[in-house]
Amino acid sequence: MTVGGATVEFEKIRKTYGDFVAVDDFTLTTEPGEFVTLLGPSGSGKTTVLNMLAGFTDATAGDIRVNGQSVLSVPTEKRNVGMVFQHYSLFPHMSVLDNVAFPLRMRSVARAEARDRALKALAMVQLESTADRMPDQLSGGQKQRVAFARGVVFEPPVLLMDEPLGALDLKLREAMQLELKQIHKTVGCTIIFVTHDQSEALTLSDRIVVMRDGRIEQVDTPNRIYDRPANKFVAEFIGQTNFFALESEPSTGAGNLPELGSSIPLPESIDARAGGDWWVSVRPEKILRIAEGAERGINFDAAIDEALFLGNEVHYQASLPGGRQLQFREQRGPDTPLLARQAAVRLGFDYSDAIPVADTHPASA
Amino acid sequence: MRFKSTVLSGAIALGLAASPALAEKKIVVSGSGGGLAKVMTAIYDKPFTKATGIEIRRVASTNRVSLLAGMEKTGRVLWDVTELSGPEFPLSVAKGFVRALDWNLIDPDNRLPAIARDKYGVVAASFSTILAVRTDKLPKGKKMKSWADFWDVKTFPGPRALRNRPVENLEFALLADGVPTADLYKVLATKAGQDRAFKKLDQIKKHVVVWWKTGAQPIQLLSDGEVYYTSAFNGRVTKLAKSGTPAEIVWNGGALALAYYAIPKGAKNIKEAHAYLSALALDADRAAAFVKIVPYPGFAPGLYGKIPASMGKVLPTHPDNVKVQFKLNVGFWVKNTEALQERWDAWLLK
Amino acid sequence: MPAHSFRLLSLGIGIVKLLRSSDWLIVPGVLLLAFFFVAPTVEIALSSIFDEGLTGKHFERFATKGAYVEVFRRTLVRSVWIGILCVLIGYPIAYFIVHRSLRTQVFLMLLILVPLWTSILIRTYAWMVVLGREGIVNNALIWLGLIDKPLRMMFTTGAVYVAMIQILLPIAVIACYSAMTEIDRTLPRAAKVLGASPWKAFRHVFLPLSLEGALTSFVIVFMLSMGFFITPALVGGRKDAMLANVIAHNVEQLNWGFASALALLLLVATIIVIVVVRLLANRFVGVRSVGMAP
Ligand SMILES: Nc1ncnc2c1ncn2[C@@H]1O[C@H](COP(=O)(O)OP(=O)(O)OP(=O)(O)O)[C@@H](O)[C@H]1O
Ligand SMILES: [Mg+2]
Repeated sequence: MTVGGATVEFEKIRKTYGDFVAVDDFTLTTEPGEFVTLLGPSGSGKTTVLNMLAGFTDATAGDIRVNGQSVLSVPTEKRNVGMVFQHYSLFPHMSVLDNVAFPLRMRSVARAEARDRALKALAMVQLESTADRMPDQLSGGQKQRVAFARGVVFEPPVLLMDEPLGALDLKLREAMQLELKQIHKTVGCTIIFVTHDQSEALTLSDRIVVMRDGRIEQVDTPNRIYDRPANKFVAEFIGQTNFFALESEPSTGAGNLPELGSSIPLPESIDARAGGDWWVSVRPEKILRIAEGAERGINFDAAIDEALFLGNEVHYQASLPGGRQLQFREQRGPDTPLLARQAAVRLGFDYSDAIPVADTHPASA
Repeated sequence: MRFKSTVLSGAIALGLAASPALAEKKIVVSGSGGGLAKVMTAIYDKPFTKATGIEIRRVASTNRVSLLAGMEKTGRVLWDVTELSGPEFPLSVAKGFVRALDWNLIDPDNRLPAIARDKYGVVAASFSTILAVRTDKLPKGKKMKSWADFWDVKTFPGPRALRNRPVENLEFALLADGVPTADLYKVLATKAGQDRAFKKLDQIKKHVVVWWKTGAQPIQLLSDGEVYYTSAFNGRVTKLAKSGTPAEIVWNGGALALAYYAIPKGAKNIKEAHAYLSALALDADRAAAFVKIVPYPGFAPGLYGKIPASMGKVLPTHPDNVKVQFKLNVGFWVKNTEALQERWDAWLLK
Repeated sequence: MPAHSFRLLSLGIGIVKLLRSSDWLIVPGVLLLAFFFVAPTVEIALSSIFDEGLTGKHFERFATKGAYVEVFRRTLVRSVWIGILCVLIGYPIAYFIVHRSLRTQVFLMLLILVPLWTSILIRTYAWMVVLGREGIVNNALIWLGLIDKPLRMMFTTGAVYVAMIQILLPIAVIACYSAMTEIDRTLPRAAKVLGASPWKAFRHVFLPLSLEGALTSFVIVFMLSMGFFITPALVGGRKDAMLANVIAHNVEQLNWGFASALALLLLVATIIVIVVVRLLANRFVGVRSVGMAP
């Protein structure tokens, strides 16, 4: 079962409820077969975007095209998109097999063929053995897999998933993420996936769309989103990080980090002098303990507040002499001693690990 | 005055006046409870005790036939006098639960009309199922006077109602067919008579738009103008007319139903019970006071001299009304209801 | 007395069975049921065939005398129709309500409930005001010149249907509505996005999921109308007698054996109708399965 994925284009999509703007200026084009994740805090408009593509909600302005054809005037049932809901939405009155065969029956596929294809889809999620059960006889993970099978059985070019793993516990969630990747590989359809779990987004996606208050903050691959966040919001939302205030030196073009008592060279592209609220983001794993004489770009003294032992890794919280707190992480071998509370340490990071980000305010502000 | 003298004469006749134990005597009277019991206590019981020293203890009762059956079986007869309504009376008589009365003690001067005197009971109350007419719906210059007129749909067109049961209706049909009042139950006792009644009913069937079940229905129907002519209970029609609806009672051919007082077989205070029955049956002053509150009179002689004529002429026991009605033969119906009801139900569906 | 000893026996057996199982917590409930439902039903069944010895005379009377069979048939047919009509009218009303906003739903359900607080007698009389000779409809028709003599609408079988449906409809709506509120609202959506037209989404998802509610409302309405007698007696014609009237009449006449026989027939017929309707509904509304896995 392999389908070519579709190109989905959102063009300046806007959705308002009365005076309230739920989605604004949403423009995005997916590659065929791409796995795109919409990531953002609650209320940022992720579901609204999906619903407009599925046809549950009308867009206020803009256009949505699938393979170049506008779909806005097409009724939901004719849009031929698959969808997997957060709470599975399996039909409780139908057997697992009938649930999976449902989209095929609705497309007037003959009974026998529908059955065969549904069984194949179930085989893909390793659930042929449950075909004759009713949904309430399945575990949560099994239900979700049946929902996947049902969402792809009719080989839709686009599959929408709105927090499909949201109801599962962490372990199951991670297992399902792997399985989902597998399914995506087999099926090959374009997937638009919604989550507000950033690690899930990083694991699964080809590209991530970070949203805030109905607007796109950044669209990029997971590693670029992580390494080169477009602004302070993205840097903060994806992974953990330390922010240090950044003040530019008008004469040299260098950036001062007053909290650390040092400065960094700023790349040409960044003009902190133009004003605005600038920071550097330094990921905790980029801050290292410095052995004698092995200075890095930025070096400073700190005292350990708290140590969180995670086996192969230790998460530390430390304070600068001025009292400001920061996080850093240390990979740990058998010989690495654990730092005690109050211990004095010298820390440092490279210039390239300090990412300047502006604190852009949301459009509405 | 009259009450006192009557009771005293009764008491003397019973030889009680001389008895020193008189003051301690007590009789148990079973009857309706509630408001009616209060009226009875105030109007009859208290003055009776005052005059005779016989105390009255009232007990409210329903299902009296089965209670009497129980007393008969256990031999513990708790009542000295009991009310027996509708079908209870003939049934109790048939089962032998009540004793024959000594009418010399109750009515030594023979003042009560024959209809009020039964071998086993004294009439306690009466009500009639009569023909009620919306006078404003009558054809100009015509007056409905009988069940024959009720059947005459040519002269008196318009919707009609009857009660949904064979009791009374078979009698009305026979009256309409010309059977004299005196022969009613003789005719009705025969198969041919019953056929005749149903045949007569066939004629009116499709003009009867409602076969009513509860006493309130025909009154509602008359007042709404849904029907012009219907059988109904006399008391309710009087009330309707008072409230302004031009409704009138045709007493001719009315079915007079009687309730009785009787003395259970095995009652202990026979003499006192007779004295009490005598007081209930004969005193016109008390009866007048009673009828002003409850429109179900007995036959106390002289009652109609004590109440306004306008009030008297709408009561079932008014001599003029008694004359033209027939006495509902409850005994006949106790025996025949089941079979005739079945026939009636089938007939109605045809 | 056979009825009495049988009742004790069945109770005893029930208690012993229960004590052996661990579900003794439901004993009070079962006792209540045994006392107020099972025992009386058994007693009714027994007294319909025991009357100074085993006898079929009550059933014979039912079958051969009077018009009992006919009344029974009419009662049954009418109740089935009222049940069907109430569901057919009540279901779309409930559907409409359940698809409004929550506030509108509360308001509309209140409107539906209000008539239930009015006594049946008053509601029945109200129909006279509407359908009577001098009622609103007749007066309007005469005033409009469409008729010159009042039409007979009151005291007809039609009036019985109208009045009974009016009385029972709220119950049908409530039963349907409460079943519909149980349906996960994403399911019809899921059906649509998976390719079902609005009609198919209704037919294959909403309808089967609300079927239980529709059946419940049929059953309640049907059973209630089997026992109705005030309304048919007040607004119906001579052919609108209900079996409940006949039963009540025979109880008054102390014909308990016969009344029991009628009640038993009523109970059996009710059960049969409910089972048949359930089977039919499942057959015609149930899922068209693609079959079982091999
Ligand atoms: N029907 C509606 N009427 C008014 N406002 C709405 C409606 N639907 C959504 N909204 C608003 O639009 C905004 C975006 O909602 P949306 O459901 O798309 O958020 P989301 O990103 O999916 O959030 P979550 O992660 O909590 O699911 C929210 O502020 C929400 O309150
Ligand atoms: Mg959402």
